Amino acid sequence: MLSRSWRHLARRYSQATTFRTNENSPAQHSEKQEGLFYTMKPELCKQLFSHGGFPKSFMQQTKTFTETAVMVRQPALDLISCIKASDLNQPAIRYVLYGEKGSGKSLTLAHVLHYAHEDGYLIVHVPWVSEWLRRVPRHKEMSNSQTNEGFVDLPLDAAAWLIHFKSQNQTLLKSENLKVSKEYVWSKREKTEAGSPLHTLVEHGINRVKYACDVVDVLIDEIKMLSSSKQCKTFVAIDGFNSFFYPLTRLSTPTKKTVKPDEVTLTTSFLKLTHNDWTNGVIVVTADQLAVPDDHQESFLPRYLLYKKGFDHLDPFVPIEVGRYNEKEFQSCVGYYRDRLWLRGPPEVETELKFTSACNPYRFMEQCAPL
Amino acid sequence: MSLFMRNYKPNSLATVYNVKLWRLNSTTADSVMKKDDNEEEEFRVLDILKKKDRMQRRVVRRADIQPDRADRMALDQKWGNVWPGPKTFHPSSVPLPLRQGYVSKGQAPPGKKANAELMKIPNFLHLTPPVIKSQCEALKQFCTEWPSLLNSEEAIEKHYPVEIITSDYCHASPSIRNPLARVVTLRFKLSTLKLDKHSRDKFIRLVGERYDKETDLVTITADRCPVRVQNLDYVNYLLTACYHEAWNVEEWEKEKTEEDMEYYEWNNNASKKSLVNWFMRTKNEFKELSEDEYRSFDVSVIPNAEGYKDAVSSLMNDGESDETVRKYGDSVRKLLGLPEKKVV
Amino acid sequence: MSNHIRHLNKCILRYPSYTLPRISVVLQTREYSRPTSFPDFFQNPIFRKEDQAKLIESSELSKIAALPVKPPAVYETSSVYHDPLVNKVINHVMEKGNKQLARNLVEKAFENIKRSQIERYHLATTPEAKAKIELDPKKILHKAIANSKPLLQLQPIKRGGITYQVPGPITEKRSLFLAIKWLLEATYEKERTVHFPKQFAWELLDAANNTGKVVKKKQDLHRQCEANRAYAHYRWQ
Repeated sequence: MLSRSWRHLARRYSQATTFRTNENSPAQHSEKQEGLFYTMKPELCKQLFSHGGFPKSFMQQTKTFTETAVMVRQPALDLISCIKASDLNQPAIRYVLYGEKGSGKSLTLAHVLHYAHEDGYLIVHVPWVSEWLRRVPRHKEMSNSQTNEGFVDLPLDAAAWLIHFKSQNQTLLKSENLKVSKEYVWSKREKTEAGSPLHTLVEHGINRVKYACDVVDVLIDEIKMLSSSKQCKTFVAIDGFNSFFYPLTRLSTPTKKTVKPDEVTLTTSFLKLTHNDWTNGVIVVTADQLAVPDDHQESFLPRYLLYKKGFDHLDPFVPIEVGRYNEKEFQSCVGYYRDRLWLRGPPEVETELKFTSACNPYRFMEQCAPL
Repeated sequence: MSLFMRNYKPNSLATVYNVKLWRLNSTTADSVMKKDDNEEEEFRVLDILKKKDRMQRRVVRRADIQPDRADRMALDQKWGNVWPGPKTFHPSSVPLPLRQGYVSKGQAPPGKKANAELMKIPNFLHLTPPVIKSQCEALKQFCTEWPSLLNSEEAIEKHYPVEIITSDYCHASPSIRNPLARVVTLRFKLSTLKLDKHSRDKFIRLVGERYDKETDLVTITADRCPVRVQNLDYVNYLLTACYHEAWNVEEWEKEKTEEDMEYYEWNNNASKKSLVNWFMRTKNEFKELSEDEYRSFDVSVIPNAEGYKDAVSSLMNDGESDETVRKYGDSVRKLLGLPEKKVV
Repeated sequence: MSNHIRHLNKCILRYPSYTLPRISVVLQTREYSRPTSFPDFFQNPIFRKEDQAKLIESSELSKIAALPVKPPAVYETSSVYHDPLVNKVINHVMEKGNKQLARNLVEKAFENIKRSQIERYHLATTPEAKAKIELDPKKILHKAIANSKPLLQLQPIKRGGITYQVPGPITEKRSLFLAIKWLLEATYEKERTVHFPKQFAWELLDAANNTGKVVKKKQDLHRQCEANRAYAHYRWQ
């Protein structure tokens, strides 16, 4: 009995020591921290991800666990080492994260985003493209674009994104060297002067929702120019990027005509951004099965999800697979869940859960829930 | 009962009778058991009506039947003489213990004599190997020699690339003509036709599913005419027509776009364009190239571009799989000068 | 075969301990509601590893080893987190045989319980308070059902043209049935906007704390039985 409780204690202790890392800066993460959880500071989470970025289920977990802990995984390490090794004077390199549903693409993206934030990148982050193109709540606002004939604006979504952009880049936008290159005239009375700081442009888009889409378009041009002229370095992260290439959106005009993704102004803006005709930037996008309807979810591989059009748009890109947990990651995750009281019960549960969840991170978390 | 009454007299003889009578009434098993006793104490019975004489057995006189011919055949006889041509099965001519026919389970099939099953089916008893051999020998004088250069399959294939396949049928219906005998199949390897890239593509499109990619064989079958010769002519006509049509270039064929191509040609595709654009940007040259310039751009100037080209082509042509995507990723990393992916 | 059965009966009579686990695992044996195609000498499957170990330990296994066994149902697994009571509750929630949905709903309710309890755990300041909080949703379910099980029942009995509500003892099975039924009835009385798992979780937590609608219902029943004590003799007169 004594030896049993001792063994139990030892196991608890060994878990307590092996599933966490104190290295909270993603730039310092290396193979040593692989499979371990690091904690993000709450204020940082609020700044980076308060307007989206973490999956909904993960947000719920952070609330239950009273902390935001992300596992350091191989794809993120790989991506960070690639970013470190790449020459920023070359055209921006595109990375595509792909993997099964629930394998942690969005969280890998969040991890890399944290790295970029720490490294002083200007962050252009789209939390979930389908939010614009595929989710149609009752208050969805659509209008025909004033500037581009035959295009559709999503002013509210664009304004919400501008707020997200502003909150993510609070510190950088305050600095003085980010300036608008030329004058933009919005209406008779409203215009943005050449040489005014970038955040006035963003503020304008937020305050005058009508122009939000045009502001986004202009902002992206400005960012590309600024990056190319070495005023700043830019990190572009777009989750659910393949949604831009699915033939149809769920939006429809008042005349009941279904809108194609390339008829939305936001799409054209962000496709411009993911083109590699600018330097001093990093572009990370994800190809996710969940971003497209069920009829196009047969494979999780990037070429299938991006269609030929998307593939040609991104080519040459670096595909990075986000896979299931390996043995080490699974054990560390088990340790973490046990520590957070999410997983309980005898150790045989682990082997069973390992089989039933097939080491898929999301499914593992889900199956632990009712235990 | 009346018999019993009549005989029931108190005398010595009657007691014997009495015993016998009782025995008649008993079961047969008993009578069998007692049979021996009866024989021992058998009584001579007066046969007044002389029944036994009348019941004389009739002697069956058997006709003098010859033994079966099949049994009398010599072991070294010439079978070709016994069964020279096709004919219906005859049991006495065939010295084989044949059995044929459906029976319920556990029984042996009926023998060869008076067996309709054996007579119904066509037989090939006239075509035994020695007979064929002797017939071939007889035919030899009319044959020409096999060309010595056609000594192998390859040589035959090379000199006679077109193969005509027909079938002859032998059966025992009222008509000797089987309708399937008219079908003619023509088969050849596509590589034996003289075709260029365009005409080959067009030929494949013309023949459609008659072309098998794996074996490179084109198979054209004709069965619409009533006679074999007509079908044969038709097949030859089809081949000729397709061949010449394949060489025709129509005006609208210039409009064929990249999506219509049956395989991915990297040089014509956007992938090469983006690679060239990327390369020029890395060299800080900004100029717009025309389509032809893109197409003719020599990618060997770009380091690691060949591997990239192969990877993209295999990704597109072999279909997307973990393997091809990994290969693509590796080649792109090499191209962009990124560290290689760590293998866990 | 009748010999076998007789032999088995003898066994059961001779070893009363053998019948004991049978009664206690009454929920774990499969009960075929309709006549099955299996002859009656087919044994109910013993699918739990613990039960099998118990059989081996008491050397009963050799007695039934040669007898044919009915197949177990899909939900009768040797999984670590198999719980017969949970299965019972799921079956009560199930409508039109849609077990998948029923299971999801009950598991979602468990998840809600777990989340609220874990949050409460983290909010608690002292270790004593933390130790008090029950985190296992299954234990909460067991506790809730135990708390809402009635001990008495009222039976309507007609005497002299008047129907009396006569209190009497209740069987274990019916008591369990009533407890689950009341819990679900209480859950279904919800706002339209609140989803089943959430409401069910609240009801379970309430019942586990010995508060809430269901426990009140049980106490009301007990009170009624107490009040109608005078009629008790009608049960046998």
